[in-house]
Amino acid sequence: MADNGIGTSKQEISTLITQSNLECKNLYDYLKTRPSNILERLYNHPAICLAVYRELPELARQYVIRILFVEQPVPQAVVASWGSQAHSREHNYVTKVLTELNVWTEGSLPGGLLGWILSHTFKRNLKIALLGGGKSWSMSSALEPDKNVRDINFLDTYSSERWECVLHYMVGSQQQEGISADAVRILLHAGLMKRDEDDGSPVITRQGFQFLLLDRHAQLSFSTLGKDYSTEGMSQGLLIFLQHLREFGLVYQRKRKAGRFYPTRLALNITNTQSKSTVLLEEDTPKGYIVVETNYRVYAYTDSNLQVALIALFTELMYRFPNLVVGVITRDSIRQALRGGITADQIIGYLKQHAHPQMLTSESKQPLPPTVVDQIKLWELERNRLVYHEGVLYSQFLSQADFNVLREYAQSNGVLIWCNKEKRTLVVNKNAHDDVRKFWKKYSKGS
Amino acid sequence: MVNVMKGVLVRCDQAMKQFLLHLDETVKLGRKFIIQDLDENHLFISADILDTLQAKIDDLMDQISFPLAEKGN
Amino acid sequence: MGPPKRPGFKSDKSSKKRKKEEENTWIPEDDDVAEGEEATVPGAAARDAEKNDDKIQEDEFGSKDYRSQMILKPDNNSRPLWVAPNGHIFLESFSPVYKHAHDFLIAISEPVCRPEHIHEYKLTAYSLYAAVSVGLQTNDIVEYLKRLSKTSVPDGIVEFIKLCTLSYGKVKLVLKHNKYFVESPHPEILQKLLKDPVIQECRLRRTAEEEGDGFITQVQDKKIIPSFGAKPGTSTDPNSEGTPVPDDITNFYEKMDNEEEEEEDTGLQTVSFEVNQEKIEVIQKRCIELEYPLLAEYDFRNDTVNADINIDLRPSAVLRPYQEKSLRKMFGNGRARSGVIVLPCGAGKSLVGVTACCTVRKRALVLCNSGVSVEQWKQQFKMWSTADDSMICRFTSEAKDKPMGCSILVTTYSMITHTQKRSWEAEQTMKWLQEQEWGIMVLDEVHTIPAKMFRRVLTIVQSHCKLGLTATLLREDDKIADLNFLIGPKLYEANWLELQKKGFIARVQCAEVWCPMTPEFYREYLVCKTSKRLLLYVMNPNKFCATQYLIRYHERRGDKTIVFSDNVFALKHYAIKMNKPYIYGPTSQSERIQILQNFKFNPKVNTIFVSKVADTSFDLPEANVLIQISSHGGSRRQEAQRLGRILRAKKGAIAEEYNAFFYTLVSQDTMEMNYSRKRQRFLVNQGYSYKVITKLAGMDKEPDLMYKTREEQGLLLQQVLAASDIDCEDEKMPGEGGRGGSSGSRRVGHMGSIPDDGVINEEYAFIELQGDLKSHSETAFDGKFVGDLHFTKSGTPLLIIGHHLMYGKEMKLEKPFALLEKKQKNDSTDYTIKCVIRKKIIFKTRPKPIVGV
Repeated sequence: MADNGIGTSKQEISTLITQSNLECKNLYDYLKTRPSNILERLYNHPAICLAVYRELPELARQYVIRILFVEQPVPQAVVASWGSQAHSREHNYVTKVLTELNVWTEGSLPGGLLGWILSHTFKRNLKIALLGGGKSWSMSSALEPDKNVRDINFLDTYSSERWECVLHYMVGSQQQEGISADAVRILLHAGLMKRDEDDGSPVITRQGFQFLLLDRHAQLSFSTLGKDYSTEGMSQGLLIFLQHLREFGLVYQRKRKAGRFYPTRLALNITNTQSKSTVLLEEDTPKGYIVVETNYRVYAYTDSNLQVALIALFTELMYRFPNLVVGVITRDSIRQALRGGITADQIIGYLKQHAHPQMLTSESKQPLPPTVVDQIKLWELERNRLVYHEGVLYSQFLSQADFNVLREYAQSNGVLIWCNKEKRTLVVNKNAHDDVRKFWKKYSKGS
Repeated sequence: MVNVMKGVLVRCDQAMKQFLLHLDETVKLGRKFIIQDLDENHLFISADILDTLQAKIDDLMDQISFPLAEKGN
Repeated sequence: MGPPKRPGFKSDKSSKKRKKEEENTWIPEDDDVAEGEEATVPGAAARDAEKNDDKIQEDEFGSKDYRSQMILKPDNNSRPLWVAPNGHIFLESFSPVYKHAHDFLIAISEPVCRPEHIHEYKLTAYSLYAAVSVGLQTNDIVEYLKRLSKTSVPDGIVEFIKLCTLSYGKVKLVLKHNKYFVESPHPEILQKLLKDPVIQECRLRRTAEEEGDGFITQVQDKKIIPSFGAKPGTSTDPNSEGTPVPDDITNFYEKMDNEEEEEEDTGLQTVSFEVNQEKIEVIQKRCIELEYPLLAEYDFRNDTVNADINIDLRPSAVLRPYQEKSLRKMFGNGRARSGVIVLPCGAGKSLVGVTACCTVRKRALVLCNSGVSVEQWKQQFKMWSTADDSMICRFTSEAKDKPMGCSILVTTYSMITHTQKRSWEAEQTMKWLQEQEWGIMVLDEVHTIPAKMFRRVLTIVQSHCKLGLTATLLREDDKIADLNFLIGPKLYEANWLELQKKGFIARVQCAEVWCPMTPEFYREYLVCKTSKRLLLYVMNPNKFCATQYLIRYHERRGDKTIVFSDNVFALKHYAIKMNKPYIYGPTSQSERIQILQNFKFNPKVNTIFVSKVADTSFDLPEANVLIQISSHGGSRRQEAQRLGRILRAKKGAIAEEYNAFFYTLVSQDTMEMNYSRKRQRFLVNQGYSYKVITKLAGMDKEPDLMYKTREEQGLLLQQVLAASDIDCEDEKMPGEGGRGGSSGSRRVGHMGSIPDDGVINEEYAFIELQGDLKSHSETAFDGKFVGDLHFTKSGTPLLIIGHHLMYGKEMKLEKPFALLEKKQKNDSTDYTIKCVIRKKIIFKTRPKPIVGV
């Protein structure tokens, strides 16, 4: 969570030619884009509060627990003093996260001191989630033992079958089993698929491709694996949603009308980003099956169309044997993937995640040949030799003072993208042009 | 008075900048497109040339690259 | 040009007009241009399993979908191969039966790539021909392939194997008592062949002794399998790991392994007819066309006509497992088979050659491609065998040996094949050489020899068996296809990565260092003409700095570094600027040896600069770092050969991760990037990987690097821009041909010009010109470049000065002139005869302008 690229200013150097990328790769990325009233509504559900809590960086979770039972704002200076000065960067970061998620807000203390106070709704429902009480939301104790009780293996198989089915559908592979119109709608809604312009049938989008290369994480949280939960007390909307989850293999329900459901491991893994590399996910994903050679050959031990389709996103395929696919990574194949909005890191990540066990016994003990990793990155860099930034150029200022005024204005507003004092020339962000122009007019009149 | 121009700020390494200057001087893209040469690593260019320019750069990169991997036929 | 006047030419070295040329033969590799001359191959060889793919459907992802063509076996996990309908075979190197499968595949197919985990091979007509000639039978090939495969083997492949092997290996060409015979255990096949008019022509009937079909009948004796010197402990390590090997695989492997050696164990009756020696090539070619290629085998144990030579391996000569294996392929049935053994440079090819000679124990002829190699081969014989100086003779222009009657003769290809007048002694030696029936002919660096030269060797030398040695058989090269049938099939090809893992060759870290072009150089690069570009990217100041930094870095580590530059301008500039010794074409033999000796023994000389003359012929076991600053376009072979300069196993081979370094410096954003990648293909397929270095760590902090300032760079740019067109070209090697393709190009006063194989060492001539030579700067001509002296194929001299061209002729002087040098020391005066001039080259015609080159 700490290393999710947030806070780095990658956005600033984004190129005009790049395409929109998959934006919300995890729960946090998604939630922070929601307006606070929506967040407030979401926090009405203890389960969501728990999920959000689990997603928080460790330090943030500390803060939340420490002030969970404090009913008034805690001075910001006090919160800051809980950690050593050496870690002020982490402190600043989690402060930002908690604020963006509306988990806490700023409040003033008597005497004018600024303090932090947890969102009321969040606080109440997190307490419920952690301690029980309130209106029951998932009381398994209220259920009779299920005579068709499902064990963990069954749930695993079930979930991966359902999930694959959806992914198959997305890559348009021919062996797909149908999925419901609702599921299609969800994919369309999420922007992972779109309607084809000609015949209106759903086709995968760039974001969809990226999505496929991601770990199997989404945005839901339930309790314990192998435990059944009551559907009682769920609103109609929630019940429909449950059916969607069922289709995606996130929950198991024997029958639509059965009064209970089981969250699958898939669902649990989805929220649990911390355990990315732990046992949970390894059991979930199939055994490593990809061999990448130093001569850029790719051998995939698979007969799954889905896996072949995924590899084909960035590999030129040559031969298909009953249990093996032979391909080669080329500059063209990688560029095609890059053009599709897939990043070098995603490709490398995917290949690493699915590396054949044999790769780790190799001389280098690396899941991928380092030279291949380097080369994929170099091919990506090659496309970014030039960085473009739409802007407006101001030059031929009459005086150094004029130049300085405009430069300072642009700089303080964070819209200055280039300047040179000697040449009295500067470039400001295109979006800020109107604003800068207004300022300049006002300034010119005044002087 | 001040002169105001819209366009695109390009940041690049020095060799790439030479390449752009070369394209501009020899009118390889059909017309001149550099509005101002800012410094070693920056140029200010017309916005509507971007696609053509990027295609030309891709050409250059295609030219100097060679498929490393053989398909073994 | 003004009125006639005799200009005085003076070279920068001495007043020699001609210098001895490298005996080295360099044939440029043109990947994309096929030789005009088509190799003759059997009809079956033209068959290509690749075509089996034509009807194969592609799946939705663009791959050839073979799933419907084969059935996966239930126990596929314990079997190591997939066989594609187009003849490509994929082998898991981590399979417990890898060893079995590898030995088998290397015998029947060509390796395409062998990186760490999965190897690709390809069945070709040639490879199957080779398989048959080392004794494998059609049915065994098919059967074993089926057993090793994870799936059923496609029918088309079975068909292909049958087509390519059924008629192969049935007829042999045997040299007995100085006569050639075509021999076969199948009389019907000989009858069939003799129905062909061409073959009838080639047949030699001596007497009326031949009644009926006239075949000579003979019964072969039992074979004794030779053993090679002191063997190391048997290297067979039964796989102790978990996965069981299916019985059908192990059993069959053992059966085949034995069969190969016991084949024809019982006395076998053969029939034969004699062939006219001059028609050998004709009959070989014709037999190929008739799909019965002739295998050359030599039953040396039963050769009573040729006396044995007294030579044995020394007890200290221990063969490595792969060396022994390659020799077993050659001597597998007790006879000596002709063929090619492919081992990486530095893996001990000469020991294989020496052992082969010690096994045959008949008169041996070793051909190599340079004078330096001749010396090295002699050393190898003395090191590994009991042969002493009296038995080994060198036949070169320099050696004073008396070759006649010797047991082992070492010489060069050009020495044997050149057509110029020879000295009387050389003439006698050649005569003797041609009269001999050589037991074995070892052909070193066989890939560098063009088929034409090769054919000449074969018409001059009679040899019972031919062993070709090489590091790089680049298979799509048509010349190599020729070799297949001129020498014999490839008998063995080692796996580079495996040898490296076992410490038999050095572990090399290959790196491609990217040097950004300075803006000024890149600017010129973009606008200049193509010919100048090479010089701009080689002389890129950032590349110079990187070279300097790498040299210093490795000198500090105590390494020995060779820097390669094909471009002479760059070679000299870099070397002189950094004050390092350099060797290129014009460097004299004695100077070369001096530099190499210093590099070897002088702790102060740790870096030398060399041109492509050092690509093949220099053995420099000390070197462990190689820096390539300019190279011959996209030649994969040159890349592999250069790597070979540092491959000889280093001390502590296993201890360090890498013990040798191979850097290629490329100027970013130039065509050099393209060439560099092109060159790497072969080695990449052998499992080498090139690390791309975009920034040399520590270079920023390195003090006193040259060409770091804009001023220095500007001056360098001026020099580069002022360089002549000749400077922009790579160094030309004899035999390489000039730009026009028809003439050898040499600069007046720098190098000799007549293709010279070293028989005539040095020759001097006058040049007589109609007209005046004027220099633009009004300074003397001393040490200046004047023009290009070429000789056309027919030997007509051609002089190019500036944009003018003159044809001339060579004339013998009625009386020779002597050139005297007068030296005054204190009060005495010495006169030295520097040289004797016997001819002149006259250019009488009016200079013609050169138009539109």
